[in-house]
Amino acid sequence: MEQLINDLKVQIKEALHLEELQLEDFDENTPLFGEDGIGLDSIDILEIVVLLEKEYGIRMSNPKEGKAIFHSVRTIAEYVQKVKSE
Amino acid sequence: MNSVSITGFGIICAIGNDAAAVLSSLQEQRTGIAPMRYLDSIHKGKLPVGEVKLSNEEMKGMLGLDENAIVSRTVLMGAIAIRQALNLNDQTTKRPNDSIKGKRIVVISGTTVGGMDITERYFQQMQEGDALLPLIEKHAPGSSTREMACLAGLKDAEVCTVSTACSSAVNAIILGSEMLRNDEADIVIAGGTEALSRFHLNGFGSLMLLDGECCRPFDKTRAGLNLGEGAAFVVLQKNSSSSSGEAGRGLYIRGYANRCDAFHQTASSENGEGAYLAMSEALQMAGLKPQDIQYINAHGTGTPNNDSSESAAIRRVFREHIPPVSSTKGFTGHATSASGAIETVICILALQHNFLPVNLGWKEQDEACITPFKNSKLINSWMSLAPRRDCSRGTKFKISGSEKEFKISNILCNSFGFGGNDSALVISQEPSDFAQNMPVEVEVLADERISDVEQLSDYREFISPGEARRMTRLMKAAIITSLKALRHAGIESPDAIITATAYGMLETSEKFLIDMLENGEETLSPTLFMQSTHNTLSSAIAIRTNCHGYNITYSQGKDSLDWALRDARRLIASGKAKTVLVGCHDEATPTFQSLFSRMGKPIPPALTSRSIVLTHNPHNS
Repeated sequence: MEQLINDLKVQIKEALHLEELQLEDFDENTPLFGEDGIGLDSIDILEIVVLLEKEYGIRMSNPKEGKAIFHSVRTIAEYVQKVKSE
Repeated sequence: MNSVSITGFGIICAIGNDAAAVLSSLQEQRTGIAPMRYLDSIHKGKLPVGEVKLSNEEMKGMLGLDENAIVSRTVLMGAIAIRQALNLNDQTTKRPNDSIKGKRIVVISGTTVGGMDITERYFQQMQEGDALLPLIEKHAPGSSTREMACLAGLKDAEVCTVSTACSSAVNAIILGSEMLRNDEADIVIAGGTEALSRFHLNGFGSLMLLDGECCRPFDKTRAGLNLGEGAAFVVLQKNSSSSSGEAGRGLYIRGYANRCDAFHQTASSENGEGAYLAMSEALQMAGLKPQDIQYINAHGTGTPNNDSSESAAIRRVFREHIPPVSSTKGFTGHATSASGAIETVICILALQHNFLPVNLGWKEQDEACITPFKNSKLINSWMSLAPRRDCSRGTKFKISGSEKEFKISNILCNSFGFGGNDSALVISQEPSDFAQNMPVEVEVLADERISDVEQLSDYREFISPGEARRMTRLMKAAIITSLKALRHAGIESPDAIITATAYGMLETSEKFLIDMLENGEETLSPTLFMQSTHNTLSSAIAIRTNCHGYNITYSQGKDSLDWALRDARRLIASGKAKTVLVGCHDEATPTFQSLFSRMGKPIPPALTSRSIVLTHNPHNS
């Protein structure tokens, strides 16, 4: 799980060009969206959907259904692990 | 009396290859959305699309072209529609007749993908060998408009290309009307053309805006749009007549407006601000009240966001006077840049034949949406409310005996695009008088340039790291020169933003294209596609300066800046804008530069950006 979380942090930082965000400051529990969090938006969700398909072979057809999945890096990791174990 | 009169039109789209076929499909409620047949894509058999039911070879035959000629589908459809509009139905008739000889003719086309269907097919061959190298010159939207004009026997006509994504064609019609109004042309042929390409099909796919079923505009279960294609053009002429009786017969462009939502690159604001402003201003220009409109042809793409935002805007403008509304995209699919012209011609047919096109696919009411017009039998129940709705102005609905006659005289046609480029047209059976603008002196308040990538190093003064993460060099340059020019002019937000670009967002377009060609049509980046349209810069500047005013992008090769400056002068002369921000921004990627170098042509510079602030100079006029 910890390895998956770290991989996701690196992949998200790169895919979303979060150049100013240092990996050591990137907390897996911080909300990704909204002003209290990293401040990502709906287009970033779509980029993460692409990332999950490219890196983990997970295909999501309706990202709106899984809004809770994209809450934080941890929730994404839990989702990836759940799908992979099914 | 001066008015803009519609004297011809042509159309080719999913529901017919000419106006007669389109009319019967609309009246018989036959959709043109079907399994993919002509586009070569992995989505064949999966995604329904609104294709024109002709192969490129068949269209070349209709135009008398060699079947081996490499001509963009965008150009083929556009040339067919223009020839229909000019009544050049026989392929052996190469030129319009003598009646237009010596007249100032302008062809204005709205397109975004331009020759992308050619580029995506031959991009690799262009890099590998020299034989197909010149095809790169067909890529830019401006070149496709030039080619269409030539195929319609109008090689001496002035040509202009407007590129505001999905509202391009309506903005082309608005520009044509303004040129007539300013006596810059005698005959304008304005509209739009857009062929399906894998590039934008997959782009819309990456944004998850495509529905795998037939689209259901305004329906509660709507899940996206079906991409379509086609072309439509109208012939516009100034109608100068002293007797209003004579001018009363015919069809007119009576009002129009172009506004910007200035909210998001691909999403519309919840209350539909840009759409609200465009509709309100178009009605105002037409001298009409909400209750004078008998039908709204909505933009209604079928995406959850567009339809609720547009509904909010319609409710704000029309309140208790909402007339029948329908989206005809359930017939045609969303023909993106051409959609505004296709729908203008549909409105013309509705006016000529006094019928209301239905909203195909609608079943279930969504509280966030208006109830669209879906059944022509229901017009009577709607009509029974009409006298009450319209008690103060009861002349619009003729009621004779027990038979109620619904008379359509004025139609509002909405057309919205990425970047919040929202426009609206009022098409009417009655003309409205307009005054000709007087020429004015224009003063340059500021002029800022960037011609080197090095000059971007101090971008942090204008752009936060959060904003910068998605910005290409061209976007940064455009924002910096715009903000510097506005600061120098002492203006926070201009009244209008006009952008000129010959090639547009080459860096993002090329990345998206290469990714698609090398890695296939899936897992493509929505961020890249969102920033591939030519109007990306203009709308980003509008969002940054919170400018809801006029917003347009010209893409006509080296003439782009000239068209932009002419438009600025027109806006200032008409009093529609006091301050106008005009930008001219272009970039060239290394690949693009090498193609030009191999052709022995001048190599376009890697980056150029210039922003000018113009205003009215009261002292010299």
